[in-house]
Amino acid sequence: MAAAGAPPRGPTLAAAARGAAFLGLWVVLAGPAPDGLVVGLLAAGFATWASLRLMPPLPWRPRPGALLLLVLRFPWQALRAGTEVALLALDPRRRPHPGMLAWTPRLKAGRAQDAFLAYASLLPGTLPAGPLDGGAIAIHALDSRTPVGEAMTQEEARFAQAIGADG
Amino acid sequence: MSLLLDGFTLVAVFAGILFFVAGTAGLLRFPDTSSRLHALTKADHLGLGLIVLGLLPQAGGVLPALKLLVIWALALLAGATVGPLIARLAREEDAPP
Repeated sequence: MAAAGAPPRGPTLAAAARGAAFLGLWVVLAGPAPDGLVVGLLAAGFATWASLRLMPPLPWRPRPGALLLLVLRFPWQALRAGTEVALLALDPRRRPHPGMLAWTPRLKAGRAQDAFLAYASLLPGTLPAGPLDGGAIAIHALDSRTPVGEAMTQEEARFAQAIGADG
Repeated sequence: MSLLLDGFTLVAVFAGILFFVAGTAGLLRFPDTSSRLHALTKADHLGLGLIVLGLLPQAGGVLPALKLLVIWALALLAGATVGPLIARLAREEDAPP
């Protein structure tokens, strides 16, 4: 239990973690030179303030194992997605069969769903194209003859489990 | 060892360029805006990833290598957020009034 008058622990931790991540990003991009670090500290502080205003912390509990699997699986997915598109683009005998389909997400509308849709745009053959009536999402498929909706649902379950938004 | 790493760099960067060429071919060949977005995002993301992978052994340290990986991650993030927005606009413009 938090002491009386102390700020709640969750938001302080989130601010500290985000601030450290932004400062780390600064050091990686701009280098660890001490004269630049002052600007880096200011930039990280401002970025943390903006991120907390725009994206308040949510009670997600990412599962490290599932998250690691998702991250490790990503290069394979990127390879499949890129190769699929490259073959379609370069082989004159093949042509895309694009189509739009309505897919109903299990994740509720909100940040977790938005994050998944951004992730799904990097996966083979699928590109989310905005919401439809009734909570469905328009998905542009490069090959609409394949079971794109089922693949999306499977990926969504993996994603929700990894970020801890399935509870 | 250095020869091996140089060979790896050459192969990976060349493969990366091939995917950029494929992405550009898709941009020219594919029939609709959203299909062209698939080409621009997926093939180019892989192309950039392979070029970054190929340059890692030449980066000369952990921090420059991390910087290359962060550049790839930022390109992915930009593509993943902007791609669906453009696809949504394209769908809404194509929709019958």
